[in-house]
Amino acid sequence: MRRLVPAWVGVALTTGARRVLAAPGGLAVGMAIHVLIVGAVSTLWRVAVEANGGSLDGYDATSVTWYMVLSEAAYMAVSSRIIEDIGDDIAGGAVASEMLRPAPVVGIRLAVQFGASLPRLVANLVAGGAVALVTVGGPPSTGALLLALPALPLAAACNLAAAHAFAGVAFWLRDAGSAWFLYQKLIFIFGGMLLPLQVVPGAMRAIAFGLPFMTMAYVPARLGSGHVEPQLLLVQVAWLVVLTAAATATFTAGERRLQAVGG
Amino acid sequence: MRGFAATLRGAFAEALTNRRAFGAQVALMFGNDLAWCAFWVLFFDRAGNLRGWDGTRALLLLSVFATSAGLTLGVFANVRHVGQMASDGRLDAVLALPVSPLPHLLVRQVRTVNLGDVLFGLGLFLVAGDPDPGRFGIYLVGSLASTGLMLGFLITAGSLAFFVGSGETGEAGFHALLLLSNYPADFFGGLTKLVLYTVIPAAFVTAVPAKLVDEFDPGLAALLLGASAAFLAAGWATFTFGLRRYSSGSVWTQA
Amino acid sequence: MTTSIANDRNGALAIDVHGLTKTFPAGRGRRRRPDVEAVRGITFSVEPGERVAYIGPNGAGKSTSIKILTGILHASSGDVTVLGMVPWRERRRLTRRIGTLFGQRSQLWFELTPRQSFRMLAAIHRLDRAEAARRVAEIAELLDAGDLFDQPVRSLSLGQRMRCELAACMLHRPEILFLDEPTIGLDLLAKQLFRDLLVRLNRDRGTTIFLTSHDVADVEHVAERVVVVNHGSIIYDDAVGTLRRTLLATKLVEVGLSAPVPVPDFDGVTVLEHSPTAARLAVDTNRRSVRDVLDVLLDTWPVADISVVDPPLEDVIAEIYGVPR
Repeated sequence: MRRLVPAWVGVALTTGARRVLAAPGGLAVGMAIHVLIVGAVSTLWRVAVEANGGSLDGYDATSVTWYMVLSEAAYMAVSSRIIEDIGDDIAGGAVASEMLRPAPVVGIRLAVQFGASLPRLVANLVAGGAVALVTVGGPPSTGALLLALPALPLAAACNLAAAHAFAGVAFWLRDAGSAWFLYQKLIFIFGGMLLPLQVVPGAMRAIAFGLPFMTMAYVPARLGSGHVEPQLLLVQVAWLVVLTAAATATFTAGERRLQAVGG
Repeated sequence: MRGFAATLRGAFAEALTNRRAFGAQVALMFGNDLAWCAFWVLFFDRAGNLRGWDGTRALLLLSVFATSAGLTLGVFANVRHVGQMASDGRLDAVLALPVSPLPHLLVRQVRTVNLGDVLFGLGLFLVAGDPDPGRFGIYLVGSLASTGLMLGFLITAGSLAFFVGSGETGEAGFHALLLLSNYPADFFGGLTKLVLYTVIPAAFVTAVPAKLVDEFDPGLAALLLGASAAFLAAGWATFTFGLRRYSSGSVWTQA
Repeated sequence: MTTSIANDRNGALAIDVHGLTKTFPAGRGRRRRPDVEAVRGITFSVEPGERVAYIGPNGAGKSTSIKILTGILHASSGDVTVLGMVPWRERRRLTRRIGTLFGQRSQLWFELTPRQSFRMLAAIHRLDRAEAARRVAEIAELLDAGDLFDQPVRSLSLGQRMRCELAACMLHRPEILFLDEPTIGLDLLAKQLFRDLLVRLNRDRGTTIFLTSHDVADVEHVAERVVVVNHGSIIYDDAVGTLRRTLLATKLVEVGLSAPVPVPDFDGVTVLEHSPTAARLAVDTNRRSVRDVLDVLLDTWPVADISVVDPPLEDVIAEIYGVPR
């Protein structure tokens, strides 16, 4: 009887999760930093909202705070070193040895990283949520927050898939670390991580909605800030398919190159 | 002093040997900084003038930050690793030389990528900071004071590893300071604001120098220089006392 | 507590140690484990120009001792003077007159050439450029390493790198050279070359050599005197010649057999292990040469496999105390 999902997926997921949970100190430090970030960013926006008569493009103090809680939770759940690490692994030969395994390289990597992001998502949500509860109280809509919950792992998955597609550049260029900076900043602005996309001027907003980055922060944030827009989840799923295909294509082409050219 | 200069020269020479990736990395550092510019411009464009801060002053803040962070992490690249080196026992190589360990340690490594940030900060000031000789002078001195502050703070945070045994205090301090320095301190109230002027001096690192360029106040300027000196002294003291503990062997996990 | 006494026969000692003890506090708070006494009441002295090997198994306290002698660690109790200075109190003055080569720690910049590193070290040691250049040329000749100085360190093999590290240590003409496990990781040829260089430095410049090792061959080929430590205490301190005659005279012969043999009874040979498939013999080379024993074995035994090894240091040390293995 063929399994629907190959066995290695489960193993990879739990491996990733376990790795993160095995370093509770690191998780704790991450949570502390997270509290600082959410605290700082949400304060910024609350001051802005206050100065504009209590509402800015449909966001009040409470909803803008919860927006930041969720956008940061999603964004920070993915390791900030991910692209650099992939690049290092490609250049260092680790990927070459992974190709000897009877499972797709990019598949395993994505699964492990996704597994690792899950405990971080939980930790971030707890940390950021605490900050929000203390400063503005509960979320504007519990229903919307429930919708945001599946959006979080979807956001992390999209982020990881895109990162792997991006980092695949390292099969050809050796130094992917610099690509990471650019990638992160794209999520910054076009992903709606630090700025709710409603605040961004028209032309930029249109571009942002057409790019995949909004799945990685904006979607969970928009939902969690009290806006019931379940169609956003479909957008995430659609982009996830596209991005995973892109990542697979890059890695397959790259692996072929490794086989031809050597490590 | 000759030895210090020689070490610095050696560090630069070594950093420049990796020229291939350098250009790409600097370009992307620029991109990183530009994204922050875009954020502030968009933010203040929408939110308007807030507590004395607007887009122009925010860009001033960013230019000071890029300059001082670039100098700190570029020229004194090892300041980020003091904690880890202390808890790993890697200071022995420095102790084998007839030099004062802290300065030598700090400049032993140079990261030219961060020097790109310095250029960016300078460029940003010239473009958006409404430069005149007076403002430029304040920006320069302010950035240098800010660099001293950052150095002092990071050395102190890292040197705690001598006492706590873990190199993570340095990393945590690093992230906290760099994070909070990105925001104008005036946005925060009460206790947080106090913290930003004292324990994690993010306000002095960016907000104060930026404000001084726009509205020079001798009292505030004196406070900035004083804070810088104080943190440098704290760094020196923590490291020196820490080194004594290192020398007693109590820092190591393996003999 | 005695104060150090200058050797009135030959003038000042290079190294003078009395009752050196070093205790590391171990564990904190609730998990408090007993303190680790790495060094217990060590006493010895070294005269200028000597070549001393300070050997012992891992954990014996060698690295701790050498770190104390070079001023990195301070002693818990006891008196230590190196060139008349207390190392941890006068570290900067001391480091101008000693050189240190610690196996895992490099003084050279990885991406630069050794010559570029020498320039930096020369400035640190306050040598002017002309003097520095002269010394680099001298050391290049002495260590036969001139062709290595202009390649980036990262492109050198470990053996070549160690030669350059040695050059770096010698630039400021130190009176004592401290080496901690310098031959670790080197292949046999590189080890031999390195040992020869140390002897050459000592003969040519009169540099005192103080080296720690757990390789007995370092003792045989470099040192004139050997100090053996175990569990933090000195258990043997004598000339290498004596050690060679009495203890290093043993060689082990390990034989794999294709058929069982009776227990052998050869003169000068002790049987350590005997089984139907293998035998382990200790040959006292003062009484019987290994070559002789091999000849007999190969002639009379069904040998499948044979090897000759030095006894492990632990065995040598056990023998020093007459402790049965």
